[in-house]
Formats: sequence, structure tokens, C-alpha cells
Amino acid sequence: MSSAIGYLGIITAFVSAMALVVHGFRGLRDADRAVPGRTRLPVLGIVAGSVVAMLALEIGLLTDDFSVEYVANHSASTTPFLFKVASAWGALEGSIILWLLVLALFTYVVWRSHRSRGDGDRLGNGALLVMGVVVVFFVGLVLTISNPFRVCVEARSVGCALSSSFPFSTAAVPLEGLGPNPLLQNHILMAVHPPLLYVGYIGLTVPFAFALSALLLGQSGVEWLVRTRRWTLVAWIFLTAGILLGGLWSYEVLGWGGYWAWDPVENASFLPWLVATAFLHSAVVQVRRGMLQAWNFILVITAFSLTILGTFLTRSGVIVSVHSFTQSAVGPALLWFLTVVLVVSLAVFGTRIHLVASSPRLDSLASREGAFLLNNLLLTLFAFVVLAGTLYPMLVELVTGTQVGVGRPFFERLGIPISLLLVLAMAVGSVTPYRAARPAVMWERLRTPMRLALAVTAGAVLVGARNGWILVTTLLAAFVVAVAVRHLWSQALRSARGVPSAVPGAAIRLMRNDAGYWGGQIAHIGVAALALGIALSSNLTVEDQVRFSPGGSVDFAGFELTYVEPFERVESNREVLGARVEVGRGGDVVSVLEPRLNNYFMTRQAVATPSVDQRLRGDLYLSLTSIDAEGATLDVFWFPYIWLIWLGGALAVCGGVWAWLVPRARRREDRPEAAEVAHA
Amino acid sequence: MPDRARRWLASVVTVALALVVVFGFVDGEPSETDRVAALGTRIRCPVCQGEPIADSPSETARAMMRIVSERVASGESDAQIVEYFRTRYGDWVVLDPPFRGATLLLWLLPLVALGAGVGLIASRRRRVPDSQVDA
Repeated sequence: MSSAIGYLGIITAFVSAMALVVHGFRGLRDADRAVPGRTRLPVLGIVAGSVVAMLALEIGLLTDDFSVEYVANHSASTTPFLFKVASAWGALEGSIILWLLVLALFTYVVWRSHRSRGDGDRLGNGALLVMGVVVVFFVGLVLTISNPFRVCVEARSVGCALSSSFPFSTAAVPLEGLGPNPLLQNHILMAVHPPLLYVGYIGLTVPFAFALSALLLGQSGVEWLVRTRRWTLVAWIFLTAGILLGGLWSYEVLGWGGYWAWDPVENASFLPWLVATAFLHSAVVQVRRGMLQAWNFILVITAFSLTILGTFLTRSGVIVSVHSFTQSAVGPALLWFLTVVLVVSLAVFGTRIHLVASSPRLDSLASREGAFLLNNLLLTLFAFVVLAGTLYPMLVELVTGTQVGVGRPFFERLGIPISLLLVLAMAVGSVTPYRAARPAVMWERLRTPMRLALAVTAGAVLVGARNGWILVTTLLAAFVVAVAVRHLWSQALRSARGVPSAVPGAAIRLMRNDAGYWGGQIAHIGVAALALGIALSSNLTVEDQVRFSPGGSVDFAGFELTYVEPFERVESNREVLGARVEVGRGGDVVSVLEPRLNNYFMTRQAVATPSVDQRLRGDLYLSLTSIDAEGATLDVFWFPYIWLIWLGGALAVCGGVWAWLVPRARRREDRPEAAEVAHA
Repeated sequence: MPDRARRWLASVVTVALALVVVFGFVDGEPSETDRVAALGTRIRCPVCQGEPIADSPSETARAMMRIVSERVASGESDAQIVEYFRTRYGDWVVLDPPFRGATLLLWLLPLVALGAGVGLIASRRRRVPDSQVDA
């Protein structure tokens, strides 16, 4: 039943997307036909079809409809409710349905923008055409090689052996399903992390669609940027949050004690983030100063291509990782699509760019524009390093057949210096005036923050810090925070005409009136905190493997760990074996940790769930590796100040949200004082 | 306090703070455990899915970590230890691509990209005075 409904949705979406492409083409050739009324039905059809398909998949999962192959092989009747819901994107075919749904919603967003401009909006019409083509590709994937609605025609006792793509085939219904991948049903974050990333990835289709439309129409100017920057920001916010939660998931679930492994799929999410971040900055330069027009097209095309590359890496089976789905024909299809996207966009770019890009003007490198150029250079260089390190082993193996190893040391050796330079550029660049910066102005703005940063770092040395990476990161991070706070303080003081009691109110007014800038500064502070968290937790980690006999105890990083007893319990979908460990400090028991091993019934694969005691000074992290009657073996870690990473990431997201929300809230109010508050 | 004295004091304090920071940088050297941990991230666990031996809980990785710490303790250099594993498992086991052979290009590419980027920015800047001479 859910299979037939799913087909109905997919076919509706496919027909609508084809109609959207046809209408889009007509509107592109003839401005009189670029009318929102003509594309209304196709867009609503895409949305409705995708919603129906997603609902059909969820209904199938929640009602344990094992006649659907996808349900039989990726869910089980014993799977908890929330993980059944999340199973819809836990495997390849379902994940593309979610992808499609998000893409449909963004298509609707583009159509709304088109409608608000009224008839004759050729730019919006062209963007809808591009969205339509992308939708056609993804619905096409679902209809042909990645169909989650296939009917099971040959059942095993558990799971489905053979399926048919004909929706009215006679179904063979397995008695029980295989259940989700144990790694994916171990933690709630797994339900959240992929959808967030998808919104981030797919959101980048919107600026791509408008950019390609502007190029096709030979329309110069910033209209495409102005109309898409809010959606680029949405994509950025979700990408940031998705990557952050992915790191948190890795830390909380995988039990290896880390949050980032430079795994190709992690890199695949980091790449569009780097390029989107570069684009958020360079878009400012174009909007305010008319520069970097051609460069912005390149960034947007790159960002979109990288999302497709990431999708390819995850779904093609070319890499082995915790993220990869099973090998399938989707890989080659995505590779073809990536090739088509690149060839078409670059051809359009090459033939049209002279129509839309003006000659650059840069008064001085020592200016905000110069700082933005440095930012873009560093971010794209970082992206290049990550891309090269990710693809190089695959390409070498493809060409020569030999395997080379490119891992953490490569990425860190190049990535850490680039990151530190970025943090420095963030501090200095964000308060550099436009056009040309006079040294006296810069000295005035940087003098006090520099002294404060030196004082903080000297303090760190005095309490015993000697690691060079920690010291340099402390110095730069403190500098970023001090520069931003001083800038806000001095502007607020001026706007409050020197009355100290009026400064806080003036500061909030400033932050609301230029929400883009101050949202950016909040994000900068977040990145600085994150950098410090990475430097501290990775350079000061203490780790050990400890074998406990029952009742035994051991001293570790200033704590006394005592193995109290093993425990065992049976849950609906798994059997849990664990060790109860008391954490003592100075004779008192401060907490009890319960690291566990989970055995899932359907897969017989043990998955560790670490247990973490989070404190202000750091995390005590216990991961169980084996347990029996004679004792338990644990990996124990001490990660100092690792919470700075989560806090910093959350601040970066907050900065993005501030920049997104506040202008909208402000528009609804009267803003009498807005005009008189001068911008820096 | 007169202005000059205050400025003088500020400079002295700044220099003193900077000296403390510099002292922090030069004082202290990496310990043996640091070296073992660093080497552990440079060698791939041969039985895992692309993890370094420092991150993997598998028996093989543990055993390799023990070898690393024994060899560090016996005074071998980082290069000698990496070479020990390379001769046993091949180039593939080293996650830290060497600056030669098949991975030389990998190290050169970012440098080329950096050069190209810097060149691009520099060329744009120089063009400006020409076009804006009369502006």
C-alpha cells in the first residue's frame, strides 16, 4: 500500500518537474512568458509529490510494512519509534527521498521570490528552470536506480531477498525486518544530523540556480546576490549545525574519543562549508563595492558542485567509512550529473562572463576589501587542500593501482597554519575600514585588543601552558574576541554620546541595525572559541587503556576510577552490557559512569556507547572495549576544555541566526533611529 | 599621570607581557608520550577502515602502538619508526604522505594554488592605478 502511494508521489513530482523545465525554458526565451502563474502548478506539484513520497515511506516504516523492500531491510518491528522515523534517511534510497523533499521546498522558496517580483521576472524564472533540472535529475534517480518503494517478491525469514520495481507485483512479506545499521540506532543525534546537512547542501542550490540564471540572461549587477544571500545564509547555518552535530555524534557514539577524523565524507561536508563561507564574505564585497563579480559566480558554481561531489563520495562506495552507504548504480549517475553540472556551468560562465562582470577596482590591499580577498584566498586554499587530500589517494589508485595513505597528518600540517592565519585575518580584517585603512586608525582599533590578548596569553604561560600551538591559538583567539568587543564598545560609546549608562542600549541597537556585520562578529568569536577548544583538547589529551578486575581501582588524570560492578539489561531492540565505574576525586565520589556495549538482535554486532563526565575543566570519557567475569577493559580519556568546541560551534550558528533573523524582525518595526546610526 | 609617562608605562607592560609569552614558546620540549601519540596518528591501522592506529581500538592497532612506544623508548627517531612500518606494510600504511614519489605532487599542488591565488590578487592590484589614473 505505502509502495503504491510512494509511486504516486514520485510520478507526480517527476511530471511536475518536467513541466517546470518546459515553462522555465519558454520564459527564458520570451520575457512575456516568465510569469509566476505559469510555474505555480508545476512547483506545487513537485512539493506535493515529494511530501506524499516522504509520508508514504514514513507510513511504511511506522506500520512495519515489510512488503516494501526498503522497510524490510532497514527497519524492524522492534526498532524504537524515533529510529523508525529516522530510518527513512538511514539508507541510500530513502536518503534521496529526503533530499528530494528538501529540494522541493527550496524550489518553492525560489518560486515565492519569483512571485513577489510579479510578471516579467526573468531572473527568477531562469532560477526555477535550473531548480527544475536538478529536481528532474533526483526524481529520475528515484524512479530508476534508487527506488525505496520496490516491492519485496522473495522473502527471507528476516529481511527481503529479491524485489521488483513494479508496484503491483504480488508481495512476499518477510515476518521481520533487518533493522537499521546499529551505528545509526545508537544515538538520537543520528536522527538530526543528516537532515540538517541536507538542508545545508541543498540550500546551496538556490544561489547556484540564480547565478546560472543571471549568467544565461547576461544580467549584470547584484540582483542575483541580493535575492539569494538570505538563502545562502540559511544553507550556511544548517551546514555549520550539521557538521557540528556530526562531530558531537562521533564523540558521543563511536567511542574512539574523537570528533573529526578527516574521513572523506566528513571532508565532503567541510568542503562546501569552506566555499560557502568564502562566498558569504565575497558577496559582501560585491554588494557594497561592486568587486569580485566573476569570482562570486565561480564560488557559487564550486559550492554547488562540491555538494554533488559529496553526495557522490557518500553514495558510490568508492570510499570505506562509517558514513558510506552500500555500493550501487547511483554512484556513476551522480558522477555523470557532476560532470554535466561542471561542463554546463563553466561553458555558460566562459561564454557569458564578459556580459556580467565589470573590471575590478581595488584602491589598496590594506582595506576591508583586501581583507576579504585574503579571507577568500585562505578559505579556498583550505578547500583546495582538503579536496586534494581527499581525492588524491583515489586518483592515484585509479591511475597507477598503488595505494597511498593521506590522513590526518597531511590535513593538519597544512590546515592548522591556514586556520590560524584565518583567525588572525578575522580579527584584523573585521575592523579594517573600506577603501584604504590609515595606520593610525588601525593602531587605535588594535592596540588595546593586542595588549589584552598578550595579557591573557602571558597568564596562560604563568599557569603552566608551554605548548606552542596552545599559546598561539590562545593569543589569536583572545585577539579576535577583544577586537570585536572593543569595536562594539567604542561605537556604542560614540552613539551614546559618551553617557556610560546608555552604552548597553546603544550596543544592542548597533547590533540590530547592522545585524549582518555583528552576526558575523558573533560567528567569529565562536570560531575563535572553537579553535581554542581544538588546540586545548587535542594537545592536552590524556589517554590510557585500563584493565579492571572487579572492585579494582586506578588513578587517572587526577581521578580515582573504581570498577563497581557489571550490569546487563535487555531492551526491545538490543541487549546492553555495561560496567559501572565510580569516579572519585579527593576521597569523594563525584559521579558514576556507565560505559556500555550494545548488541543489536538483528545484526549481532556490538557497538560501544561511551560514558562521559562533563566538567568545566574537561571531559572524563570512558569507553568499554570488553567485559567478562574476570573484569572489564576500558579506554579512558581526559579531554581538557573540549566544551569550548561545542560552545564555539553553537556561537557560530547563533551568529548566523542573528544575521538571518534580526533584519526581518526589524523590518516590522518602525525604525526612527536607524538612519542616524552611522556605519563603521 | 602625564601622558608621556602613561604611554611609556603601557609600552613597558606590553613588552613585559610579550616576553612572558615568548618564554612560554621557547620553554619546554615535547615529551616521549607526545611523540608516541603523534606517531600513532601517522600510521594506518591495517585491519580497520582508514583509521590511524592511535584512534582504533582493534588488537592490531594496540599492538602497533606498543611497538611505537617501545621504539620511542629505545631512542629511535620518528623517521626510523615510520620506515619500520613502511617496510613491513608498504607505502599505504603511512597516513603522512612523504614529500617524494607518488605523493610529491600532493604537496606541490597546494603550493601552486597558493602561488596562483597570490599572483591573481597582486595582478589585480597593479592594474588599478592604470585604469584610475584620472579618476
